[in-house]
Amino acid sequence: MRMPPFELLMPTSLEQALTLAGDFIAAGEEFDWIAGGTDLIPNYKWHLNSKAHVISLAKVAEMSELSSTHIGGMVRLHDLAESNITHPLLKEAAGSIASVMIRRSGTVGGNICLDTRCYWFNQTEDWRESIEWCHKCECGTDADCRVIANQNTLCVATYQADLAPAFLCLNATIHLASSKGKREMLLSDFFELDGMTRNVLQPGELVTHITLPSESSELTGCYHKLTLRDSWDFPEAGIAAAWKLSGEQISTLKIASTGLESIPRVHDDEVAAVLPDWSGKESIESLSEALRKSIKPVNNTGLKPNYRRKMVKVLARRCLNQILHK
Amino acid sequence: MSDEEDMVGYKQQPGKLPFSRPGSGGKDQFSDLQDENMIPESQGGKQSQPWGTHRHDELITSSSIGHRTPLIDARYKVTGQAQYGDDIRLNNELIGKILRSPHHFARIKSIDTSAAEALEGVIAIATGSDASNSFGVLPVTKDEHALAVSLVRHVGDLVAAVAAEDEATALQAVQLIEVEYEILDSIHDMKDGLEDSENPIHDRGKYHIGEANIQKRVFQEFGEVDKMIENANASHHSNWTFRGVNHGFTEPHATVANWDPRGRLTIYTPQQVPHYLHRSLADVLEIPMHQINVYRTFVGGGFGGKSDPFPHEMCAAILSRKSGRPVRITFDREEVFLTNRGRHPSHIEMNLHADSQGRLCGVETDALIDGGAFASFGHVTTYYNGVLHTAPYEIGAFHYTGARVWTNKPASGAMRGHGAVNSRCAFEVGLDDLSDKLQVDPMTFRLANLLPPLSATITGFRITSTGMRECLEKVRKASSWDERFRQLPLGHGIGVGCGFFISGSGLPIHWDPNKFPHATVHLKIDMDGGVTIHTGAAEIGQGSDTVVSQSVAEVLGLPLDMIRVRSKETDTAPVDLGSYSSRVTFMNANAAISAAMKIRQELIDATANITGADPKKIVLGDRRIYDKRNPAVGVSYLEALHKAQEDRGALVASGAYRTPPMGKAHKGAAAGLAPAYSFSAYVAEVKVDVETGQTSVINVWAAHDCGKALNPLAVEGQIIGSCHMGLGQVLSEEMVYGRTGHLLNGNLLDYKIPTVHEMPKVFPIIVESNDPEGPFGAKEAGEGPLLPILPAVCNAVYDAIGVRVDELPITPDRMHRSIEKLCRSQGVTDPLELKTPTLKLSPLQESLANRADEHEKRDIARRNNDDIEPYHNGALFGFTATLPPEEQSDDWKVSVMPSQEYIDNPRLAGTAWKHIERRHRGDDT
Amino acid sequence: MLPQAGKLEWTASVNEKKVTESISSDSILLDVLRDQIGTLGVKRGCDMGTCGCCAVLVNGQPRLSCLTLTSEVEGCEITTVEGIADGHHLSPIQETFTTYGGSQCGFCSPGFLIVITALLEENDNPSETEIKNAIDGNLCRCTGYQPIVESVQAAAEILRSGKATSNPTSPHSDPHPGFMGDDT
Repeated sequence: MRMPPFELLMPTSLEQALTLAGDFIAAGEEFDWIAGGTDLIPNYKWHLNSKAHVISLAKVAEMSELSSTHIGGMVRLHDLAESNITHPLLKEAAGSIASVMIRRSGTVGGNICLDTRCYWFNQTEDWRESIEWCHKCECGTDADCRVIANQNTLCVATYQADLAPAFLCLNATIHLASSKGKREMLLSDFFELDGMTRNVLQPGELVTHITLPSESSELTGCYHKLTLRDSWDFPEAGIAAAWKLSGEQISTLKIASTGLESIPRVHDDEVAAVLPDWSGKESIESLSEALRKSIKPVNNTGLKPNYRRKMVKVLARRCLNQILHK
Repeated sequence: MSDEEDMVGYKQQPGKLPFSRPGSGGKDQFSDLQDENMIPESQGGKQSQPWGTHRHDELITSSSIGHRTPLIDARYKVTGQAQYGDDIRLNNELIGKILRSPHHFARIKSIDTSAAEALEGVIAIATGSDASNSFGVLPVTKDEHALAVSLVRHVGDLVAAVAAEDEATALQAVQLIEVEYEILDSIHDMKDGLEDSENPIHDRGKYHIGEANIQKRVFQEFGEVDKMIENANASHHSNWTFRGVNHGFTEPHATVANWDPRGRLTIYTPQQVPHYLHRSLADVLEIPMHQINVYRTFVGGGFGGKSDPFPHEMCAAILSRKSGRPVRITFDREEVFLTNRGRHPSHIEMNLHADSQGRLCGVETDALIDGGAFASFGHVTTYYNGVLHTAPYEIGAFHYTGARVWTNKPASGAMRGHGAVNSRCAFEVGLDDLSDKLQVDPMTFRLANLLPPLSATITGFRITSTGMRECLEKVRKASSWDERFRQLPLGHGIGVGCGFFISGSGLPIHWDPNKFPHATVHLKIDMDGGVTIHTGAAEIGQGSDTVVSQSVAEVLGLPLDMIRVRSKETDTAPVDLGSYSSRVTFMNANAAISAAMKIRQELIDATANITGADPKKIVLGDRRIYDKRNPAVGVSYLEALHKAQEDRGALVASGAYRTPPMGKAHKGAAAGLAPAYSFSAYVAEVKVDVETGQTSVINVWAAHDCGKALNPLAVEGQIIGSCHMGLGQVLSEEMVYGRTGHLLNGNLLDYKIPTVHEMPKVFPIIVESNDPEGPFGAKEAGEGPLLPILPAVCNAVYDAIGVRVDELPITPDRMHRSIEKLCRSQGVTDPLELKTPTLKLSPLQESLANRADEHEKRDIARRNNDDIEPYHNGALFGFTATLPPEEQSDDWKVSVMPSQEYIDNPRLAGTAWKHIERRHRGDDT
Repeated sequence: MLPQAGKLEWTASVNEKKVTESISSDSILLDVLRDQIGTLGVKRGCDMGTCGCCAVLVNGQPRLSCLTLTSEVEGCEITTVEGIADGHHLSPIQETFTTYGGSQCGFCSPGFLIVITALLEENDNPSETEIKNAIDGNLCRCTGYQPIVESVQAAAEILRSGKATSNPTSPHSDPHPGFMGDDT
């Protein structure tokens, strides 16, 4: 399949990359970053929102730095999954992504910034044209959303990256940079509800790295996901949990979800409601049920949304049962 | 040199090989002896023959047959030197691209190609007006065109084609073609196809059925149909939904067409059936067949999906003719799905009845199958959904109604296990349920109802060999069935399923008034001693080149490296009907054997001439031909060959195979008729996660009766590969159509083919029933092994959690819904508290076990007796075995037309019969 | 003609041979390998990163060439299926693919062989799980994977034994056995 033509630029340092980006922005030109390419290139091959310019980060060595608390945006998923210094929860989530071949190319930054997916959107150009498009693809047709008819303000495409819930449970901070400067925020503040904008990245801005607080190493965690197959598939639901025990008591508990809505979410409210009176099995049951209630998937992936929602409870319970087994 | 003494009286000529003295057998008087363990007992060897002797026994030289043989073309594949469709790169090629319909159903009002033509780099454009002749794989249903002539019938139907200097230009030109459509009402639900329509998708003229979208309908009744309900002691009723599945071969379609300077067309294409493409190209291009050379490239997976002549192949030829340059068309994966020809989406109603003696007194099947926009092989598929489950069991009555309808989807067609897979699944799951209702073990139930060897089915199919009983016994033992069935904990279960499949089709697709053979093989051996095989059998990865080489090597006593195959081009290959309906090993190897036998006789005669030995006593060994009683008297292969070549040069021989006359005479009697049938029985072991509904298959014990494993390596590969493909259909694969009628998952990420992690451990078990008609006893192994995996998994799921599956694939969301329903019916909230099915045997079990024992003795007696009496289905029900029951009782029906009573109250597919064909309507339409 | 991205000169080593090609900056490695360099052993199955038929080694690491920008592998050592045999001696995994039935239609074989070559380079005694994990980005529709896993185990054994694979150019069977020297 042929991609629409674009001009590829390959800076060799972050500074150079940001300058190039700044120049495009200043000139009013659009461009995309490309990290591993496992998300962008398939989308380009299907002519989904392609740009005339692409800046590759492949040669930006400083973005590949990996330590137990610093994970560069260009760290390959395979390297993250294979490294002995990776937090076990991250390792588990990273090792579960797609296939080993995708993980060899795909990157941490790319996974976090994964485009949202929807079966009315992830289709060839001919296909989308024959349904008169959907509003997630810039086609100038003023098309509506195909999932929820007669609405064109919000995109409900599903966010299906596996790393996000793991990072969220570990209280990660995301570091962004553009030609205008750097900023950082809790990862939980990074995502935006709309499946089109997806996150707070401004034009010209990128994810340089993600850091974990040093106390994250004290957290134990696990990640359960729902897929039809054990390779290739995006998660149809994914629940990560991380916790810290003080004796028999849980001193910290974080739960996050992915693959269910347009945004990965941390479920602090639901946790806060049960944690003070934690009673093991019953609390797990009520917390799992609360999670199920709080999540509302839509019909735009392979498995039916009501089922995915029910599985939230099962996956959450299985994650939380691990606490009892420690 | 001591050899010189041996050469007395045999004067060496310049250029002639220095043969040793005649009769000496070369320097080594006794060349390597044959492997006695591979020589049948009947020939004095040590290979036991529990299934009796075979007409090819005396041809066994132990050189190749039965050895685990790497495919002879494997080294090309592993070095990257195998050329598939898109690897054919001719000088000066153009790239062809196709404009496809964006509409489900529309009339083309106008096509304007002027802007595309004006684009620099565009060399040729074709539209429907360039080739108006229709074609199709079956002569009775030629309903396809190279490019849409007036109607587009599904999203993705071909509208125009462009040849340009490069891909980007061709793509842009396609975008520049302006097409004006009048959109018509499309239909997507196959049930709607049964009703009259204002604009039927095709117009069959006077043969059109009503004004509906019914492409084919079948009605068949055999046996004591009217009594089956009253005779029934237990009945099974189910209504199945099967989704469409795609072959999912890894190589997308690709083709290169080139008209050479003499004006002859060569088309390079990964085709399973080059001959039918050859015919269709001649039709469409309006040139004689001898002006066309169909060159089969390596085929990157077929499975039935590359067995139709395809419109894009016509397009490449048309564009190349127009441009005067080679044109290459390669599909992307979406185009592969839009071409489809995969397994039909189906609604199947299955009703089975068992009488008080545990006999299968009635089978009632109703199959509505969704053909998509074209006929393809559908005429045959409609029959196969019924007739291919009339064995391996003896049945008292069979009622089948089938209908195939057109809908505005990519066409369904032939896929591995053609037409038999879905109804077999429903049937075998039904047997499991019947066993439950009768409170008997499903293994015993099957074993007590099998047709014997050398028998006739209720539909009149001739069963020659059957290893069904042995397959069942072997998987029963290997899986520890008796210790595990209905005894495993919740979420863990085992189940059994069987299969039966044709080994070649009795009639060729193009009916043959001239009695053409189905397969022909030519052999040529020149001075060098190497054997060239010319065959048109399409090597598609199944190992047909290898098996035909093995067959020739075996007969001539030669190592495989002395055999070379030319099977790619219709210019040099004799006509062969291609790789479909599991016919290649059976028919092509039979043809190869008959050709090799002629050469063998010439070598024997030459040896007799040289040595003076009695030709009747001469045998072929490893490159040595000698007197069986006195092995020292003999000559080398080359010496005999050169003797045989005196005064005439290269030895050439031709062999052919044609099926014998068989079967009954009713309409449709030929569908499903085969010279032999394969049988299989699998036990699957599954785990079901009762909370998520996820099913995983852990182990499969897979016994398949292929008659004789000519190449056990390839047979096992087919069995394991079939498990994988069937597993996809039962667990995860489906072509999903959304509410707008569009295919939602036309790519390999969303179309869920099992990965290495989903694959169970498969234990292939080969059963060799020594088919009298098959080459060296062989039958098919490529398709039949797919059938049992589906019902075996479904039945194992029932054993694991008590859910009776009636919809495939068993995706976790569907399974979860069933589990919730089961929880409600059992009154439990936690699925972990579900009760699993138990087995409480009734007194019938013992009588069935006794019957199975008696039948086993009966079967062994029949298969080892050359002079046995006929056995017709019906004997189990008290009829005289030697005559067809319809000749014994008026209650035994053979009917292919529904009664008015049936038409007044039909089943789903049966409603097709409420319409009257136009020609019988008495009006002028 | 469509507007095209600017051309640039690109150099890499493909199967130990230095190649210089004029490529457009947005070109995909798979396209360049097949259409310009002519290593047609690299296959296009899905073109979207699922099937693994297009796998090549980039500096010894398996990569999906259909998702790799050519520019990004400038100066790298690229190995395709055409580059893993030693002359006429197949690599052990190529040989066992033939003898254990790892290849049926053969279209996925180049991708599998590349991925397995990298696996065996790192680990000459992989467990069944390690093998499955290494090939879970490759799709095979014919074999059901089981013969592929067995091929890997057999190849690892050959590697550990240090045995050479056969040379197919050595004399084939003598039609007049015993006369022309050693009987093969």
